[in-house]
Amino acid sequence: MQQEFSKSEKFWMNFKLYQLWRFIVLNIKIYTVAVQSKWH
Amino acid sequence: MAKIVVIGAGFAGHTTALYLGSKLGRKHEVTVISNRDVFGYVPSWVWVGVGHMKPEKTVFKLKSVYDRKHVKFVHAAAKEIHPEAGDQYVLGEEIGTGKEVRLDYDYLVIAPGPLLNFAGTPGLGPEGGFTHSICSLPHAVKTRDAYLSLIERMKKGETVKIVVGTGHPGATCQGAAFEYIVNVHKDLVKKGLRDKADILWLSNEPALGDFGVNGVQIKRNGIVQKSEEFIQSVFKDHGIRYQVQTGVTKVEEGKIHWQNYEGEEGVTEFDFSMLIPQFKGQPFKYIGKDGSDISAKLVNPAGFVLVDGKYGLPYPELARTPEAWPAQYNNPTYPNVFSAGIAFAPPGPISKPFTNKNNIAIAPAPPRTGMVSGVIGRVVAMNIVDLITTGKMTHSERMTEMVAACIASMGDNLWDGNAVTIVMRPVVPDRKKYQNEYGRDLFTSHLEMGLSGAWMKFMLHYTFIWKFKALLGWKLIPE
Repeated sequence: MQQEFSKSEKFWMNFKLYQLWRFIVLNIKIYTVAVQSKWH
Repeated sequence: MAKIVVIGAGFAGHTTALYLGSKLGRKHEVTVISNRDVFGYVPSWVWVGVGHMKPEKTVFKLKSVYDRKHVKFVHAAAKEIHPEAGDQYVLGEEIGTGKEVRLDYDYLVIAPGPLLNFAGTPGLGPEGGFTHSICSLPHAVKTRDAYLSLIERMKKGETVKIVVGTGHPGATCQGAAFEYIVNVHKDLVKKGLRDKADILWLSNEPALGDFGVNGVQIKRNGIVQKSEEFIQSVFKDHGIRYQVQTGVTKVEEGKIHWQNYEGEEGVTEFDFSMLIPQFKGQPFKYIGKDGSDISAKLVNPAGFVLVDGKYGLPYPELARTPEAWPAQYNNPTYPNVFSAGIAFAPPGPISKPFTNKNNIAIAPAPPRTGMVSGVIGRVVAMNIVDLITTGKMTHSERMTEMVAACIASMGDNLWDGNAVTIVMRPVVPDRKKYQNEYGRDLFTSHLEMGLSGAWMKFMLHYTFIWKFKALLGWKLIPE
């Protein structure tokens, strides 16, 4: 079902401190899963 | 001393060459033959296409990198491949002089990237057609110039129609087109011109957010979220109209002709359009010892190299057979011929294909670019190293096992930019391993939008150019 992003979602998407946290988390997540490929 | 020839120096070929050079370059002969003497960082061409990045920031010369990695570079266009045992070589034509080049090999890697088949859709493309493309750097530059001219018209008060998507019923790379459409939106908002443009997404995907990989699904707080709903929200938020299940059949000046799943034919008018063409394999000649054409042993009718996949399975069976996807990417008839990136033939589509009542197959081809290309390039290189050093291949990675991460830019500004961060595990659903209707690891798979994605995309540009230049620690950066 089509939805719109809520005001709160939009706020968090551009809230710099929270996004810095997400940047760190996403980097760790992507590096962790991507590096597993090297074991194949 | 073994001789290894790599055709192509894009994500797949260049990755293969760097690993081969680093592991074997001192003792064996590793040669790259490419018709381009620069490496192009394709993911950033979306920014070139809206005038936000200078083209020269996305390329660097290959020769100096290869010199450091003990790889020989031949600036030539490969033309013929002679794979029969005893006399195996590649014939090419040197760029600039037209001189014939012969490269003998013990191992061959075919990774030249796609042939952009604009001819597959009459009127498509920037050379003799009416639409634009960001699939090569010259095309991205042309797209930028056309887009900036459009901006001038809009500044004078004109209202325009912009159409972005796929330009062939069997096209792939919807992700790049998605990045382009949202970057255009963002750019127009910044310039205060968004109200002067009607923007339409026109695509061959079975559903919005499919991206040729059957969509992306994640589980958050116990609820399954799908890329279809996510992209619907993005388009609704951005005021972008969309039309999926549509195959473009012809383009005329200002008019796109299409057919949809129902077999209806229609025309969409445009002032500016960027449509991704169908991809095909490069038209090399494959020649036997007696001079005969042996293409059927090496490539499928579209020119993609046949490797160790199971071909010919109907879609429902293929969707239940993860082992049908190739693991080591070498040709069964000529096992010393490998292929990586877009060049290898996938066993079939990932998204559900559809043929309408007029017999037009509207089905996105599987994307094999970016991270997938790099991973396959490394697997191929490591297996060649294995064969030379121990005689036995030990590496494999099917797309049904592979993780792919993709950052789709939605505005490049580091203060108020945006991007969707996508992690898919695996790229091709494995319904045997992951017992859910999507065949994916819903815990690892990830879909998130925010400013952090824009930072990631920016960081990846510089990190990957560092990696592809083979600078200090390049192997620590995953493909």
